[in-house]
Amino acid sequence: MHYFDHSATTPINLEVLELINKVQKINYANPSSLHSAGKKAKTIIEESRRRVANAINAEPDQIFFTSGGTESNNHVLWSMLSHHNAHVITDVIEHPAILKVLEYLKTFGLNYSLIKVNSKGRIDLKELEEKITKKTCLISVMLANNEIGTIQPIREIIDLMISKDILMHTDAVQCLGKMKVDVKELRVDFLSLSSHKFYGPKGVGILYVKNRSTIKSLILGGSQEGGLRGGTENVASIAGAGLAAELSVKYLKENSKKLDMLKLFFINELKLIFPNIIINGDSSNSLPGLASISFPGFRSDILLAKLDRVNIAVSNGAACGSGNVKPSSILSAIGIDEKTNLSTLRFSFGTTNTIVEIKKLLEELKLILNNK
Amino acid sequence: MSRIAVGISGGVDSAVAASLLLEQGYDVEAIFMKNWEDDSEYCTVEQDYKDALQVCDLLKIPLRSVNFSKEYWEKVFQYFLEEYKSGRTPNPDIMCNSEIKFKEFLNYAIDLGAEKIATGHYVRKDLINGETVLLKGLDSKKDQSYFLHTLNQKQLKHSLFPVGALSKSQVRKYAEKKGFQNFNKKDSVGICFIGERNFKDFLKEYIPAKPGNIVSETGNVIGEHDGLMFHTIGQRKGLGIGGGKSRIPGAWYVLEKDLIHNELIVGQGIDHPALYKKTINASNIHWINNRKPNTNKLGAKIRYRGKDSICTIDELTNDHIKIVFEKPQFGIADGQSVVFYNDDICLGGAIITSSC
Repeated sequence: MHYFDHSATTPINLEVLELINKVQKINYANPSSLHSAGKKAKTIIEESRRRVANAINAEPDQIFFTSGGTESNNHVLWSMLSHHNAHVITDVIEHPAILKVLEYLKTFGLNYSLIKVNSKGRIDLKELEEKITKKTCLISVMLANNEIGTIQPIREIIDLMISKDILMHTDAVQCLGKMKVDVKELRVDFLSLSSHKFYGPKGVGILYVKNRSTIKSLILGGSQEGGLRGGTENVASIAGAGLAAELSVKYLKENSKKLDMLKLFFINELKLIFPNIIINGDSSNSLPGLASISFPGFRSDILLAKLDRVNIAVSNGAACGSGNVKPSSILSAIGIDEKTNLSTLRFSFGTTNTIVEIKKLLEELKLILNNK
Repeated sequence: MSRIAVGISGGVDSAVAASLLLEQGYDVEAIFMKNWEDDSEYCTVEQDYKDALQVCDLLKIPLRSVNFSKEYWEKVFQYFLEEYKSGRTPNPDIMCNSEIKFKEFLNYAIDLGAEKIATGHYVRKDLINGETVLLKGLDSKKDQSYFLHTLNQKQLKHSLFPVGALSKSQVRKYAEKKGFQNFNKKDSVGICFIGERNFKDFLKEYIPAKPGNIVSETGNVIGEHDGLMFHTIGQRKGLGIGGGKSRIPGAWYVLEKDLIHNELIVGQGIDHPALYKKTINASNIHWINNRKPNTNKLGAKIRYRGKDSICTIDELTNDHIKIVFEKPQFGIADGQSVVFYNDDICLGGAIITSSC
């Protein structure tokens, strides 16, 4: 299979897999147990925590393991219920793990405002500033978008609210290993990550919390994760996530360069085959390796199926439980009409993709597009 | 071998259809259609999709998805609402076949490079003198030709019905043997987008209900109805006027809907003469082979699972047909389809506009 859907998930790094298997087999003890085997398991988790902390320039005690990016986002948002009459600001192109949660929390009395984005997917800073009220306790804006790759000006947002008592969260799930994620530079209070997006295992997320006192527990039970998240830890996968984070940062420079090169080569060659394509997002400020491309006159579900027949995996729109595709709300938000929206494919390249594979993709696309 | 796109629903019939085609050597791809946007508890689409996935995984065929909910909303659901607003009883399943499954889906499948589509309908087809004919399914209890009578030659030529020669129990046995987890799944009944929910509550969300009087044929007001659209000619239950307890013995039946006065006219007893009519006027005539039949005497059904009754064509123009049954027919509802047969061959049909 030629896999070009790395924004959905990445294949696991083999070194990481090896570590997971080893820990799974040997270190099965409960990290809360007081015998040596339990303490060893606990050590493995703490080692992983240090690795993650180093990867994003945080302190180990600011890193909390969760079940995934969705839980990390939920944790931050649910925690805001402890503020009286809480008001949250976010934008219209956030992941459902933000938008759906806020919609639900509204029934518990949490208010929120959605800010627009421009045609490149960049948030409207002026609107954001206007939406800030005395009750605003949190602004949550993703670091980079999962469908179009646009990177948001997180630091500029923080500059806006300087001297205001507002917490800042960013969903950085798409970013680790593709761009620098440095919590000290970003100056955010919370940051969400998901291990399976950076060649780690599924089922492990990370929540960075600058100051422990700003957040409440979401899952109560045992005193794991400093009491912030109860439940026996997924030791092996946590170990894998730590190593994956470390490797992502270690090879960041060469990997992001490679992803950029693959994307550029792909887009340039594709333009020659099919000059009518529309490239969505912000070409000057977006994630490497991710290309959202509309093919006017074609249906993305048919293109996807035809590529699937030749073992090429790409994605379109926002898939839901029954495998169906609706027009992407992100593309609608950047002003793309419905027909173009439904003609859009997302190609997200990964570190193991090669130019030879991209050539194969181009070859198959050429056949499909010319054989309408 | 040529590629066939099977419309797979998660039910047992289309699953078996896909499997049979695979055994016949076709290159089979399954396509799961979503025609209705609904995240409510009534919607079974997630379970249906999981069942479809299990079957396709077993058969090692690709499962694709397509969303026609916009087209369904515009072409089927709007028709459905308009008909109810006009006091008629629509048949959205027939409309879904002609507008969605055998139009949108067929075109989609062809765009995908399929030569034909296949469905799990209990009908058969045959080639007679160069014309494709639609035949009833062999299992008379399951025959679905009533729902497919609006197909044309092009649609039929591009369609396969692999389970039409089987009985439902044969289909279930086959599915069980193959390990399909849906082998015992309950047949879907009623209108697909309403699912298990209460029909009245559903309809009320879209059309304001106008309560009015229930009137006996002699003009006495004997009760109140909650909206004419909730009632159909020949319907017995749900009138709320307790037939057994009133002066004249016998249950009450809907005889007529008076839209002008918003009155429901009822009469007692299933043998009430006003419930039985011999003559039907109908419009929107469709002949599957594009020609009027060469005989005036036909079999006809006025409802799914009804029996064929002998009728004669009295008048026939391009947009109007008048037929007279040999024997009076019970509960003819405007808006429903009358479907014509010559023995096992489904000839076509029309939409009932009035009866007397």
